[in-house]
Amino acid sequence: MLIRQVIKSFYILMPLAILMAFLWAPSAEILGDFSRIIYFHVPLAWVSVLAFLVSGVLSAAYLFDKKQRYPWLDEKAFNSASIGMAFALLAVITGSLWAKLTWGSFWNWDPRETSIVVILLIYIAYFSLRSALAGNDRRGVIGSSYLILAMMTLPFFVFLAPRIYDSLHPETIINADRTPHLDDRMRMTLLISIFAFTSLYAYILHLMNRALAVAKRLEEEYHAAD
Amino acid sequence: MTGMKKNCAAGGYGLVREILRNLSKDFSVEFRTRFALNVSIAFAVTATVSVSLTAGGVPFPSLVQSILLWMIIFFSAMNGLSHIFVREEDQATALFLRITMSADSIFISKFIYNQSFMMIVLAVVTPLFLFFLQVKVILISYFVLTILSGGLSIAAGATILAAMVAKAGGKGSLFSILSFPLLLPVLWVSIFATKNSLDGARPADYNSLVFLLAFSGFISAISFLLFRFVWIED
Repeated sequence: MLIRQVIKSFYILMPLAILMAFLWAPSAEILGDFSRIIYFHVPLAWVSVLAFLVSGVLSAAYLFDKKQRYPWLDEKAFNSASIGMAFALLAVITGSLWAKLTWGSFWNWDPRETSIVVILLIYIAYFSLRSALAGNDRRGVIGSSYLILAMMTLPFFVFLAPRIYDSLHPETIINADRTPHLDDRMRMTLLISIFAFTSLYAYILHLMNRALAVAKRLEEEYHAAD
Repeated sequence: MTGMKKNCAAGGYGLVREILRNLSKDFSVEFRTRFALNVSIAFAVTATVSVSLTAGGVPFPSLVQSILLWMIIFFSAMNGLSHIFVREEDQATALFLRITMSADSIFISKFIYNQSFMMIVLAVVTPLFLFFLQVKVILISYFVLTILSGGLSIAAGATILAAMVAKAGGKGSLFSILSFPLLLPVLWVSIFATKNSLDGARPADYNSLVFLLAFSGFISAISFLLFRFVWIED
């Protein structure tokens, strides 16, 4: 029920987030209107990490669900990882645009930029592994095991590396004085946008999982007819 | 899972005996042909000599030397670390192993074998690299510890990935594609620690070494837990 409410909230939250980002939130002092990209770049990055975490959790559930009470968890984990990949690519594109406008070049090998590239490589490797296992009945187990390994290394790239090495990125909410350095209206817009993009992720995942269920049912009916 | 040996019936002592038996089998089979070891060492020698020849005796900056050293170590290891599992699938002995030994003992013995293999690769690659590229190490003990800890981490992470790749038919470069991003934190930290040892910049604390050892422990624990899912077939 909660998931359905989150999915439905997408229809209200996304238009609201776009309107707030362009019309209500003030522009930043030095960056001007360029700063409005924060309302898209940060939520995209957050959702990509969330999607990768969900894929890891679904994979763990798949490995432990020996009686297969919850069907196709490995394929659902694959769906979540695919969405995470798409969102991570969009986060890289919006981040590069923002970097060009503020730091003068599209790519600077900042620790956060390096981290996202490595995360993308990890999930590209996962898709390669799944392709290599096409037609193999061990595909679900091996793919899920790799996703769990990938999830376990995520904290290093997302939380540790950007804090160990000097970064061009502004400090995040978890900074030295533990307070976000944002105007109240900007903070509110960012929060709404994060909720909107999270509901968009839930919406897409729900659609992909429904399509998966339909495809599986058609497959079963086709085999039953044989 | 019917018929597959899930736990070692004789307890701890039986587990140790199974590990020793499997290790002795792996060492005799692998060192009879020395295929994986020969390929890894041949790659290391070719890469080191090629770099040295191209440089024409001109020494590289310490950062470039560290990057080259770890790239050669990493790809030399990638040529051989997966062989221990791929061989079992190729020679159709995996099923026999699954029936006769517990997953835990197989993982531990393959893990120890891969660590030994890595140490041999390091023992060949590092002196060769130092000799051909005229590298001067200022902090020798720090350098040696970095090489050993980095090698330990690479072999620790690569063991479970080797088991996965073997199930995928050991397809070509898939092992490197899977390993490189997951082991990048290890390479990242090892390269900077090696550079410091070449520059003589003694660290106040040994965070890099602690990280490498912690990563090895962490990835080994996760791999140990995941291995039975990868190995045991329904």
